[in-house]
Amino acid sequence: MSVVVIGLSHHSSPVELRERFAFAEAKIPEALKALRESGIADEAAILSTCNRVEIYAATSLEPARAFAELKQFLVTVHAFENPLTDELYTFAEPQSLQHLFKVACGLDSMVLGETEILGQLKKAYDLALQHRHTGARLNKAFQRAFNVAKHVRTETNIQRGSVSVASVAVELAEKIFNSLADREVLVIGAGETSEKAARALLSRGARGIVVANRSYERAVALAGELGGRAVPFEDWGREFERIDIAISSTAAPHAILDRARLEPLMKTRKRRPLLLIDIAVPRDIDPEVNFLENVYLYNIDDLQSIAADYLKQRQEEIARCEQIIAEKVRGLLGARVPTDSAAQRRLSFAHLRKSVQSAD
Amino acid sequence: MAFYGLSTVYSVFLWRKGFRKDDHVNYLLLLAGVTLHTLAMFKRGLTLHSCPVNNLYEATTFLLWALGLACLVYSLLPRLKFLCAFTAPVLFTVGVFALMPSLDVHPLPGAKPDFSDWLRSLHAATILQSYGAFGLAAVAAAMFLMQQHDLKFHKLRAVLSLLPSIQRLELITLRLTLVGFLLFTIGLVTGQQLPRPEGRPYLSDPKVVWSALLWLVYLGLLVARLLPGRSTRRFTVGVIVAFAFLLLTFWITNLYSGLHHP
Repeated sequence: MSVVVIGLSHHSSPVELRERFAFAEAKIPEALKALRESGIADEAAILSTCNRVEIYAATSLEPARAFAELKQFLVTVHAFENPLTDELYTFAEPQSLQHLFKVACGLDSMVLGETEILGQLKKAYDLALQHRHTGARLNKAFQRAFNVAKHVRTETNIQRGSVSVASVAVELAEKIFNSLADREVLVIGAGETSEKAARALLSRGARGIVVANRSYERAVALAGELGGRAVPFEDWGREFERIDIAISSTAAPHAILDRARLEPLMKTRKRRPLLLIDIAVPRDIDPEVNFLENVYLYNIDDLQSIAADYLKQRQEEIARCEQIIAEKVRGLLGARVPTDSAAQRRLSFAHLRKSVQSAD
Repeated sequence: MAFYGLSTVYSVFLWRKGFRKDDHVNYLLLLAGVTLHTLAMFKRGLTLHSCPVNNLYEATTFLLWALGLACLVYSLLPRLKFLCAFTAPVLFTVGVFALMPSLDVHPLPGAKPDFSDWLRSLHAATILQSYGAFGLAAVAAAMFLMQQHDLKFHKLRAVLSLLPSIQRLELITLRLTLVGFLLFTIGLVTGQQLPRPEGRPYLSDPKVVWSALLWLVYLGLLVARLLPGRSTRRFTVGVIVAFAFLLLTFWITNLYSGLHHP
């Protein structure tokens, strides 16, 4: 018996196709039951997220036959009538295990190294385990995948750094301020990215948000959502005495904040640093203000460049991660014991559930 | 010295890597160095039956010991491990300088060591510990300036490194300067209580004048820092300049001091 994988992901298919093959969480136990009853798989687990739909199966069938049956199963369950070409990918051992480990480590994710997929994989496995659709093969493979993900996270920089503009803004704030707990954030112009950055700062403990927008109603609505307060657009300058971080994203055709305007405002701040994040195009803040003491100005290009550097750094780690994964796959296949051994049978349901939780 | 040297070399590697990974190796190297340093000073102190600060060599090594110890203690705080990387070069370079044979002048046979009573030992120990605190403040100030420069000029190292926030570094610099200033003041007051040759005013000695000047410099820095609206950058630059002045002139004033070389 060997472990095989069939699936489609953001690498192989567009979202329109992925959503056609997606499994609702409530329907997964039923699908797993059908898979096992059909004789295609002895053990199975289904991972269904917005970026991928995959079936992991332990089967006694020849891989080629197993893939054909699994493909037919997918098409039938989702009543898909159009022909499929390269959208579905298949892996037999050892590539199937390698793929599972890569998915767990975030190496196959859209945002390289992201950790959300590990939680989704654990959930998918837990669901299959709860309904007793896994056995010795898949239990061991998934357990090992979670361990490999943990190992890769601690031994490499694959998950290090922020790869979105909002999280880079948070990281910068943490490099300037002792703590974000007492920091007040001013959002000038209620755009989507500034909203995300403000939310990210709030989630890291920022004390409060002040929103200024040309449409006061929109400012009130966003302030309400973020638990902050709205001020008329003309009054945002008055907030500079209190705030520590300003995120600007207005549609103004020229700079709304320049050195001449900021210099007197800085005097009221008593040496406190000020982080200015200008994500507007054209820019809202004159770059000259960065020459003022205690002012740290970052525009959209600066933030994107940091995010891109982080991504590059993550990409440089891929080879190291793949090396670790290859070793772990070899270890797993080398240490494999017959599935009906007494030791495997003793691997109790309760023990497995506990180990999934502890791998978090 | 070997451990301080190794730590300095290792610090260069950490610097080149951009302080990206929390590192214990440098801390352990400095710990080994300071432990051996403590043993050596303890042995010398037992031989002399007093605090080993009788000549320039001993005074300098005591200063370095205070700096190394303060660094080890502060490095235990979160994200401050890299203090060691900034302190090791100071310990090594000043330590090598202190090894010059002319600095280690032995007392004449049968002569009683200068610092044999508790007041003299307290005076010497507090003054030298204050130098250690000023030194560590200068190290934290250097970290602040580097991090501030990186943040201002959008260097990736600013976000990738595991250095503390600039606000925290500035706070550490201020606190260490305050501690150093307090110890320095105690040292000067106890020095004033020590017996000196008949008719010789306390402020006529070059080292006392130098110390008073240094005290005023640090007082000025602290007052300027505590006034609202004053520049944090200027304060940190001032702390570094003041310590550089201390290191460069410490030897000279000691050599010309009649009170310290009767």
